[in-house]
Amino acid sequence: MAFTVPTRKPPTTTEPVFSVSGLWKVFGPKPERIPADPELSTLEPADLRARTGCTAAVRDVSFDVRKGEVFVVMGLSGSGKSTLVRCLTRLIEPTAGTIAIDGEDVRAMDKGRLRELRRHRAAMVFQHFGLLPHRTVLDNVAYGLEIQGVGKSERRERAAEVVAKVGLEGMEQRRPGQLSGGQRQRVGLARALAVDPEVLLFDEPFSALDPLIRRDMQDEVVRLHREEGRTMVFITHDLTEALKLGDRIALMRDGRVVQLGTPEEIVGSPADDYVREFVRDVPREQVMTCRTAMRPAAADDTANGPAVSPQATVAEAIEAVARAGAPARVMDEGRCLGVVDHEQLLDVVAGVTTLTPAAAVDADDAPEAAPGKPRRANPPAPRTSPEDAAPTTPEAV
Amino acid sequence: MATLSLPTSGTGTPRVLKSRAAGKLLLLALFAAVLAPWAATHWPGAAWPHALTVSLDKPLATASNWVIDNRDSHPLFLYFFGYVSNAVVLSVRAVYVTLLAAGWTGVTVLGALVAWRVAGVRLAAGTAIAFLACGALGMWVPTMQTLALMVVAVLASALVGAVLGLAAGLSDRLDRALRPVLDTMQVLPAFAYLLPVVLVFGIGVPAAVLATVVYAAPPMARLTALGLRGADPEVLEAVESLGATRRQRLLTARIPLARGELLLGLNQTIMMALSMAVIAAVIGAGGLGDRVYQALASVDVGQALAAGIPIVLLAIVLDRVTAAAGAGTGDTRTRAIGWPYALAVTAAVALAARLLGRLDWPTGWTLDIAAPVNHAVDWMTNHLYSGVPVIGGTADWAGHFTTWILDPVRGGLQWLPWWSVLLIVAALAWSIGTWRTALTAVLAMAAIGVLGVWGPALDTLSQVLAAVAVTLVLGLATGIAAARSERVERALRPVLDVFQTMPQFVYLIPVVALFGVGRAPAVAAAVVYALPAVVRITAQGLRQVDPAALESARSLGATGRQQLWQIQLPLARRSLLLAVNQGVVLVLAVVIIGGLVGGGALGYNVAFGLAQGDLATGLVAGAAIVCLGLMLDRVTQPTQRRTTKGA
Repeated sequence: MAFTVPTRKPPTTTEPVFSVSGLWKVFGPKPERIPADPELSTLEPADLRARTGCTAAVRDVSFDVRKGEVFVVMGLSGSGKSTLVRCLTRLIEPTAGTIAIDGEDVRAMDKGRLRELRRHRAAMVFQHFGLLPHRTVLDNVAYGLEIQGVGKSERRERAAEVVAKVGLEGMEQRRPGQLSGGQRQRVGLARALAVDPEVLLFDEPFSALDPLIRRDMQDEVVRLHREEGRTMVFITHDLTEALKLGDRIALMRDGRVVQLGTPEEIVGSPADDYVREFVRDVPREQVMTCRTAMRPAAADDTANGPAVSPQATVAEAIEAVARAGAPARVMDEGRCLGVVDHEQLLDVVAGVTTLTPAAAVDADDAPEAAPGKPRRANPPAPRTSPEDAAPTTPEAV
Repeated sequence: MATLSLPTSGTGTPRVLKSRAAGKLLLLALFAAVLAPWAATHWPGAAWPHALTVSLDKPLATASNWVIDNRDSHPLFLYFFGYVSNAVVLSVRAVYVTLLAAGWTGVTVLGALVAWRVAGVRLAAGTAIAFLACGALGMWVPTMQTLALMVVAVLASALVGAVLGLAAGLSDRLDRALRPVLDTMQVLPAFAYLLPVVLVFGIGVPAAVLATVVYAAPPMARLTALGLRGADPEVLEAVESLGATRRQRLLTARIPLARGELLLGLNQTIMMALSMAVIAAVIGAGGLGDRVYQALASVDVGQALAAGIPIVLLAIVLDRVTAAAGAGTGDTRTRAIGWPYALAVTAAVALAARLLGRLDWPTGWTLDIAAPVNHAVDWMTNHLYSGVPVIGGTADWAGHFTTWILDPVRGGLQWLPWWSVLLIVAALAWSIGTWRTALTAVLAMAAIGVLGVWGPALDTLSQVLAAVAVTLVLGLATGIAAARSERVERALRPVLDVFQTMPQFVYLIPVVALFGVGRAPAVAAAVVYALPAVVRITAQGLRQVDPAALESARSLGATGRQQLWQIQLPLARRSLLLAVNQGVVLVLAVVIIGGLVGGGALGYNVAFGLAQGDLATGLVAGAAIVCLGLMLDRVTQPTQRRTTKGA
């Protein structure tokens, strides 16, 4: 494990870790007829329930999770997001569709192969932690290794390393009942990390925590992701959390994905009224980047004014423009891509811009949207770490 | 289930009837209006019509004779029951000999060390004192006999119960099949189990042990299944998400997570085994129960008390120690000593006692309480039984209770036409439960008539009704007081704790001392036995009422009385129904045992059948007791049942 990578590792390839297509999960009597029947599969949830007694928790969902990214599935309670994440490792058996991990068909796996998948390739962190109350912190963290048959001394040693990594040194011998909520979730996180999985699955891990603790834990996840570059699938109902953590977000409603895209796309060009309503109160200048906000450079703009990177947020550009009193140039590797001035920046804040066609491309066709994602740290938090400020060019400050 | 009960009534009920209970009753009334005149003309008279009875005396007598004739020759007995019987006798014998070999010092020290290990110093001292008291009362040998029987019975019950519970916990189908059986077994009076066992094994230790196992295994099975099923689903999901196999999940998660329930099950099994081991004296268990039984037979209260006190002490010690084991989650404080150390100390003490020749309890150290107690009872008989100015004597009370309450209730029940009794049962059961429970109750009641013991069953029923009425009045009042006043609750708690752990049989001793023999003392014993559970459930139910509802009532200026009547009692309705249900079940158990002290009716039939070797009478009475228990439970059963019952 490479712990020492100083900056967030960009996704190296676009190959998907999880590839999901046409996934259905229907609860109720004879569920398999719903996805197969084109008439039933298009019914509204209430009608479906009235006609068949079935509830479709996940309806025809398709997406890819790319290696190294944080893929957030967001939706309100009952939107099917928790069912969806459980389908990935077949904790809940899907009704129809395909799931592949690294190209291998998950639904075709036999019991032993599935166990291997759960033991080594995907580990999950749960909302209410799911810790074993009769075991110590150390033995809880080592539990996954114990299941794999790792010897006692070795698994304890490895567990102790992970316990230290999540900041629980000195608490190894406590029991879950003696810990606070945040500490318990650190144990849950450590248990998942201890088996060194390829993918971490989070099922609303922080929604049972107090707001301050929640922010700490989010920062912890950001830190871990930056250090290890592990692929993560993160379920949440909290938009702020989704925008803060997600490289890409799938927004779910009634079992369907209504929009899938980068946080900027979700906020900047909502797919429908539901999404628009959802993102209405988001401070747009914290999410939108200069690449979206800029206009083509005119001849007289080229020489003067501060330079900002295309990934810098509008909020950063506002600061640069305000300090310099002149429009800022959007510079990428010495090339001037465009210009942002008061007009564009104000448009973003007021929410009257529509995305330019160049930036509105579908995320699946535009892998470059993900690398070097701007660090939209959570709005209220001051930017202190150097990595966070990195996208802004020096002359802008 | 509750929602499914309506469709049957949907055919006849007009829509104006909003209340579901009213609809059910109306339907029942229609039904009665058609059938009652027909039944009354066909079979006139109040008692169950003779034409509808099936006499089981002859087939049962034949079966019983066949068993007696073939006990030594038939392969079923030779190769199965014979082995079971021998195994039981051998193991009880082995434990008994071991206990005697350890001597009184060894047993006391071992008991104290075990208590120390699992429950701390205070309970260790209590255990030692309890054992010494057993010796001091001259009851060391009977105590060891009871203990030997208990050890074997508890081990067997725990094993059987755990295996059944494991099966029910892991398989949904088995759970569905086992649950109603276990539920029903838990409401049946202990007396009902005795005769079938005697039929197969004859009177003796094997019968006693097996009756105890059958009686004591259900709580272990129920709680094991409950514990396995009640595990936090997210923990199990987390375990599964890490790729655990079924076996790993069971061993590392489900069983450890069910630890509390398993130990609670063990605790209940031990308490029920003790209760049954004492009652099983009437089928040859020997030991303390036998001493009480013999003493009660000759109304020797002093002797009965001398044997009863060790039973109570044993019950309290066993309950507290096992409960502490269940409550403590591996607290380091109580782990003062290790098992090997405890065993070594015990062996050393036993060896020392043996070398000193002090293995048996020293004869000079016994305290004869029988004579002074009998003296006191005589004094009571002379001075308190009757003729006390103004308040009257205890025998007068018993007499008045019999003539003014028991006789009229019995007379009323026997005056009622048989079909109207069935209708009342149906109405009660249906209005509170589902049509299923009502059907079970009616069928059970009809079965009593078919068995030909309608008369005695109504006699028993009259005693149960009187006892339940008294229990509920006293119990609900006390429960309300305990719920409303912290002080009353604190004062009551130790009393209730002790009363709830005592075996049923023990309650007969004081009532015989106070009221002599007859139906009234049986009712009194039943009331005393059922009271603690009713008080406790009532108080708990009232205390668990949503504090927000109470607070809002208070903020609106409700008086204490208004809070009680308008908030607490309605919201605690479920608990109150449960209190009634438990009260009825517990009262029935003791009213039946009251047959031993002159309660008559079904309990007497069982005792008579055992004493005279007339198994047919006894078995029919036993079956009627089962039906009565089933009927009473269903009639008072709230739709959801609670898991535990006072042993």
